[in-house]
Amino acid sequence: MGKKTVLELMINGDAFEIACAPNMTLLEALRDKAFLTGTKRGCDTGGCGACTVILDGEAVLACLTLAVEAEGCDIRTIEGIARDGKLSSLQETFVEHGAIQCGFCSPGFIMSATAMLAEIPSPGREEIRRHLAGNLCRCTGYAKIIGAVEAAAGKDRGGEK
Amino acid sequence: MHLPIFTHRQPADVAGVVSALAEGSGAKVLAGGTDLLVNMKHRIEMPEKLVSLKKVADIRGISLEADATVIGAATTLKEIRQNSELERKFPALFQAAMSVGSYRHQAMGTLGGNLCQNTRCRFFNQSWQWRQVRSLCYKVGGEECHVIGRKHACFSTYSGDVAPALLVLDASLRIAGPDGPREAPLSALYSGEGRTPLTLGRGEFITAVVIPGAAARGKSRYEKFSLRGSIDFPIVGAAVWRGDGSVRAAYTGVDCAPVRASELEAELAGRELTDASLKRGANLAHKAAKIAPTSVHPVTFKRELMGVLFVKAMRAIS
Repeated sequence: MGKKTVLELMINGDAFEIACAPNMTLLEALRDKAFLTGTKRGCDTGGCGACTVILDGEAVLACLTLAVEAEGCDIRTIEGIARDGKLSSLQETFVEHGAIQCGFCSPGFIMSATAMLAEIPSPGREEIRRHLAGNLCRCTGYAKIIGAVEAAAGKDRGGEK
Repeated sequence: MHLPIFTHRQPADVAGVVSALAEGSGAKVLAGGTDLLVNMKHRIEMPEKLVSLKKVADIRGISLEADATVIGAATTLKEIRQNSELERKFPALFQAAMSVGSYRHQAMGTLGGNLCQNTRCRFFNQSWQWRQVRSLCYKVGGEECHVIGRKHACFSTYSGDVAPALLVLDASLRIAGPDGPREAPLSALYSGEGRTPLTLGRGEFITAVVIPGAAARGKSRYEKFSLRGSIDFPIVGAAVWRGDGSVRAAYTGVDCAPVRASELEAELAGRELTDASLKRGANLAHKAAKIAPTSVHPVTFKRELMGVLFVKAMRAIS
């Protein structure tokens, strides 16, 4: 299987047919083949978290995942987080808290936090910090991002903003 | 950064992996990919073929066989971290798995992959462009080790977190290969040489880690010192275990292989553990390792850390 093959990747519920060689990463397939450029290429070596996507419910690094191994998986990217034009509660709280400055790291943070909230609906502050470690932000200083995730967890529980 | 070209296999069973690995040369196992794919992007490793473990049945999960705990090699570090039984019986393993990279690395990375993590050095864990300013070092195809300035030698440092924890728990490995399955103590996995740090033969790969029941009858702890508290490789990592009047200690980040501190262990065997005896043991810790300046941290600093982390870990379980 050294040559190109055509993969069928399920991205945000839509099937994409992508011709790729084994050495194509999921990040390259998403950005360069499916043109879903919301997932960012940062360090490209697993250190910054900008390329985080959700694969079968698990937040993973798309730059270190082979596209061929994502076949048959449910791939969720930042483009699939808003539903019917409505932002997710996490996206809303990011906006409300000013947790975005340049915005480059935001998709990675939102994907990491979305996977965490699906697993742990009421995370403590320390749990949020641990889950977001590995997502780097050079603008915000993290405080607002952590605040936004805390607020989103509160919203999903039906609590105050 | 594109990955170099390779062929890719995804066998469904252990026998399929063994035969795919044994065919031709230059094949490597791909588990979580969090170490290997980074090295491939940097052109530190260029295998011709990757044999993926993603679809292999029966090498993932945690089970009991009599009183031994068997952990499949493809079990993720996250699955280990989330297993409350493992956390209760083998705190050092839990703490070590928890300290690897970020939660994304733990969700992707596997136990076997962590044990087989490649050694590290400031001269080759760099981009291809960075490495162009001097001749290639011995590890990546050149002649000389830039750390020591000697030909045909490599002193790169083993930096996996989980191995020292499993060493003090006296864990062994189940290995599949062309000559059938075999068992070996974990310490036998490591050659102690930087260029080819593992002893696995062609076609061989780890299928499971076995922790003997006796390991659960002691207390254990892993202490890691790294520059960043969030995600980082250890500058030095120390695992300790105490039970039955004996003490075991093992280290990562100090030599080409993870090492057991046998002088330290002998000094403390059967002794009462007091501040004075722990200090005596701590002073012997560095004898276990030949620390090379493969990172930006001075050798003397690492030597001292070995003792400091030992005392810290022992106090936490006293």
